Amino acid sequence: MKLSSLLRREAIIVPIKNYDKRLLIEELLDAAGATGEILDRTKALQALLDREALGSTGLENGLAIPHARTNAVNGIVMALGVAPQGIDFQSADGRPCNLFFLLLASEDYTTTYVQVLAQIVRLNQLTEFRSSALKASSAEEVLSALRKAEE
Amino acid sequence: MQGKRLISRILLLADGSEGCISAAKYGIALAKITGAALKAIYVINVDLLEQLERARVFVKVEKLDYERDLEEDGRDYLWEISELAASKGLQIETELLKGTVYKIVTQKAEEWGADLLIVGEHEPGASKQDVLYNEISLICRKARCTVLIAKNPEQIDSIFDTIT
Repeated sequence: MKLSSLLRREAIIVPIKNYDKRLLIEELLDAAGATGEILDRTKALQALLDREALGSTGLENGLAIPHARTNAVNGIVMALGVAPQGIDFQSADGRPCNLFFLLLASEDYTTTYVQVLAQIVRLNQLTEFRSSALKASSAEEVLSALRKAEE
Repeated sequence: MQGKRLISRILLLADGSEGCISAAKYGIALAKITGAALKAIYVINVDLLEQLERARVFVKVEKLDYERDLEEDGRDYLWEISELAASKGLQIETELLKGTVYKIVTQKAEEWGADLLIVGEHEPGASKQDVLYNEISLICRKARCTVLIAKNPEQIDSIFDTIT
């Protein structure tokens, strides 16, 4: 499975406009809506906020993965937001985040969901991908960096 | 003079991929022809869940939730494979395991005396970061028995359907 085949160009935001955590998540969720696979936006947002309440999904090395499993979506739904300047997301290493992968999965997609999360973490370890994504000025350029990283 | 049969024990890996059910059908068809014994295993990748917890993607309670759900997924896959075997009049042993996938699979193949391990095909040109693809690559390299990657799911389905 390739992240570049899960992520639609319309679901990539360059750059992210909102700095407030909740608004940023909503911005990503609306972009993910381009997939047409979000059945209930309110329920999907609540699932993301409930997960966030357990602990921030801001990780290390500039990566954040707001995520949740919910039957408010069909299958796997993804969005990516790029913030070259960095945004505070209460990350594990205390540093600002600049790549925000939003991931939602319906409850019967656990196996794929766990694998996609691991793939995102591995992808973020690729310096070349991070650097290209952060320099990108369009969704197409981000997608192209992602495809290259997955070759 | 009767020598040792080339295929007497077929181990099937159910890994949650789309291809694993086709692989199971291939194995069942082959067992029907050869009379080989069948066993299917599903390995819950706890190693991966632990990595995700260390990377703080999961909090503890979330990790335990996913582990429980993956167990359920595993049981569902094994049940589906058992039903497929039963539909062709074959018995199959199943086992749900936990650990590092490639290690458990290669170890189980040796313990059980498998002479053929069948795995499903993954998306051609899968990403280097693809977890299942990497596990399958490691299994192919580390297994001591022959490993078969079942391809062409449509063809397998149509052959499987003709078996009585």
